[in-house]
Amino acid sequence: MRRIGIIALNTFREAVRDRVLYLLLFFAGATILLSRVLSLLTVGDRVKVVMDVGLAALSFFGALMAILIGTSLVFKEIDKKTIYTLMSKPLHRFEFLLGKFLGLALTLLVMISLMTVFFQAYLILLGRRGDGRVFLAALYIFLEVVLLTAVAILFSTFSTPILASLFSLSFFLIGHFSRGLQTLIRKVPAGFSRSSLRLLYLILPDLENFNLKTEVVHGLPIPANLLLTSAAYGLFYTLFILTLAVIIFRRRDFT
Amino acid sequence: MMSDILVIDDLRKSFATGFIPRQKEILRGVSLAVEPGEIFGYLGPNGAGKTTTLKCLLGLVFPDSGSLTIFGQPHLSLRARQRIGYLPESPYFYDHLTAFEFLDFYARLFGLKKKERGERISGLLERVGLADAGRIPLRKFSRGMLQRAGLAQALINDPDLLFLDEPLGGLDPIGRKELRDIILEQKKRGKTVFLCSHILQDIEMICDRVAILVSGRVVSSGRLRDLVSEKILFTEIEISGVKREDLLGLGESLAGQEGRVLLKVVGEEKVEEVLALVLRSRGRVHSLLPRSLTLEDLFLDMVKAS
Amino acid sequence: MMIGAERRRAGSALILGFLLLAAAGGTLALKLRSEDIARARIPGSSLRFLPSGRYLNAVSLGYSSLLADIIYIWAIQYYSDPAITDRFSRLDHIFGVISELDPKYSEPYLVGALIAAYEARDPGLALKVLDRAMEKNPQDWIYPFEAGHYAQMMMKDFRIAQEYYRRAMELPDAPDIAKRLYANALFKAEDLETAWKTWLEVYNSAPDDRIRKIASNHLYQVKAVLDIKLIKEAVARFQDLFGRPPLNLEQLVGAGLLKSLPRDLDDRSYAYDPETGEVTTAVIPWKR
Repeated sequence: MRRIGIIALNTFREAVRDRVLYLLLFFAGATILLSRVLSLLTVGDRVKVVMDVGLAALSFFGALMAILIGTSLVFKEIDKKTIYTLMSKPLHRFEFLLGKFLGLALTLLVMISLMTVFFQAYLILLGRRGDGRVFLAALYIFLEVVLLTAVAILFSTFSTPILASLFSLSFFLIGHFSRGLQTLIRKVPAGFSRSSLRLLYLILPDLENFNLKTEVVHGLPIPANLLLTSAAYGLFYTLFILTLAVIIFRRRDFT
Repeated sequence: MMSDILVIDDLRKSFATGFIPRQKEILRGVSLAVEPGEIFGYLGPNGAGKTTTLKCLLGLVFPDSGSLTIFGQPHLSLRARQRIGYLPESPYFYDHLTAFEFLDFYARLFGLKKKERGERISGLLERVGLADAGRIPLRKFSRGMLQRAGLAQALINDPDLLFLDEPLGGLDPIGRKELRDIILEQKKRGKTVFLCSHILQDIEMICDRVAILVSGRVVSSGRLRDLVSEKILFTEIEISGVKREDLLGLGESLAGQEGRVLLKVVGEEKVEEVLALVLRSRGRVHSLLPRSLTLEDLFLDMVKAS
Repeated sequence: MMIGAERRRAGSALILGFLLLAAAGGTLALKLRSEDIARARIPGSSLRFLPSGRYLNAVSLGYSSLLADIIYIWAIQYYSDPAITDRFSRLDHIFGVISELDPKYSEPYLVGALIAAYEARDPGLALKVLDRAMEKNPQDWIYPFEAGHYAQMMMKDFRIAQEYYRRAMELPDAPDIAKRLYANALFKAEDLETAWKTWLEVYNSAPDDRIRKIASNHLYQVKAVLDIKLIKEAVARFQDLFGRPPLNLEQLVGAGLLKSLPRDLDDRSYAYDPETGEVTTAVIPWKR
């Protein structure tokens, strides 16, 4: 346990010293500021546009950070052979993997918090009272990003950063469109194809579970069981992905 | 032997290589034993499987069959790894860390307390000659400095068994001497060193026992003294002032320059005959060098034989 | 390796396997639960920002026609959702975007106009969509043809209808009926002279008896309207002069108000009812 923490802190330090992170942070901030310009083109509630773009930026750039950094985390160690000295120390392979995961998750927590605070401050500047539900939406964006981190690390254990990024990005896109499968399922006649589609629908990630943007932007109620179910869903899916990564990684030969 | 610090028994490992994966046997039944407190040399030509053996020992690669035991424990147990150190060939380290942070990271993994860490790291940096480089990021280190940092990391837990993979390559002669001194110092402190190398001169200088690995098998192993006999193979004599015809039958002429002849003479009697001849002819002996079997000779013989 | 190590490895493998299955099971179970939670939907929220067509075109990186397909498919779903009460307000924009991405894609124009006309009950909007289609596809007869229908049937604006039909009929491969519709619209728009001329052209170029009969019936109608108008004017003048309507149409000639009595296309006289003052054709035009 203690060793996981050491790896995690080292990973956090490594990630925080990565320039890519700050570049993305800058772009996220720029997007939030730019949303004001966009809002001038619409008629009516301008703050709604800023809210929407802001939360979308949080989600998008958070996901990008998770994918870009996560996919190179394990690969870099193997490619640069720093893993040789590391794994010869008294350290289990799963401790290494979990440490990497937690380190990146911690990094993303800090990054998303920074972006959220900046965003909230900007909203207050624009005249909208501080909305606590923005933090709630950001929290669930964080949960989504944590799952993406696990996915990125999983792919990083066995493929190059470019491929792993593509796979992770696909996971992200599929996750947001998987609900559309329901429409298709309704139109297919009952039978084998429908059952297979239904099974596919259940297996594919449903990242819309973490999407509270509509509720927060429109001031709609958020039922408690939605929050609980989504958080639990994220937890279990993340656990599944991490377990898979540990299984793949534990008997891997480092040639 | 029960007291052996490291025992490898019939280690086998194949890798699947190529576009259409085909099994390539790298280790074909390696067996050896290392006694505590000795410097053990693991030699072999490139591609023999030395590094693969090390990777098996350190849990980087999983063997197909065979057993590996360190300190009487299964080699992958955390207790075993608590007491070993490893310096890989051409090591890379975390660019973004300073030397101090880098050593501190590993020290923490071993569970060393803060005060102890600080002391040990400073001591080690001094010992490897990086005393002033503690706060410099590793990405600014030269190759030689990285090698030293690597050695420091290998010694961070004061290991009872130190694994070194080709540590001498890339070092200048001073660096090589310093490293040899550190290895000998480890032995003096009662520690064991497992040294992989193909630089035979250094092995000859410091190792107690060696094993020679060729094509995935140990073809020869034992005390260096035993393997490399002190028997004199031949003598090289450089003389002048003696007529060529008189030298026929006494030895093989290796070179001739400005009236001097370099002769390879086999057998003590023939050497005496040559010396007598030189005396009679009022010639001169410029140099006389008895050559015994070197490790290199043995090594080349082994490689040729397989 | 000792037996102990092997057993430990097997043990940890078991733990991992169990963990994997438990996590998978939990995930599936929660996914099923999440389906039951009704999420508040803002109908039409998927449309929050549909950028302009030109922008999308630039951004689509060569996949503009695919993007057009995707947006069109989405649009169909969007327009079939009755919960989105204000879905027609963006119809022009949405179909404009599709048009910008793939100007030659004909179905969205036609379907867009259909939705505008029949669901939004805004035939003017339908015409707008079809105008854009014509702008991008000037050689296609179908767009002005459909536009003519909407103008004629829903807006009852025969002047606009005839303009569309004329445009349609002049385009390559236009069906013959376009011309007839044009002529008919002219008639309804009360441009009788051009209507007569056009029906004559149709009559003369008719490929078979059926068309010839149709043309002839229309010609009959046009003539009848012209003639009846003339006669009725004369009747009104008679009324002014003599204070009472004429007893029969011959009286009009006798009074010098008409040079001769016009006869219909079949050379029959027109019928006159002295009590009501109505002038009608002797027969129903299409029952000749």
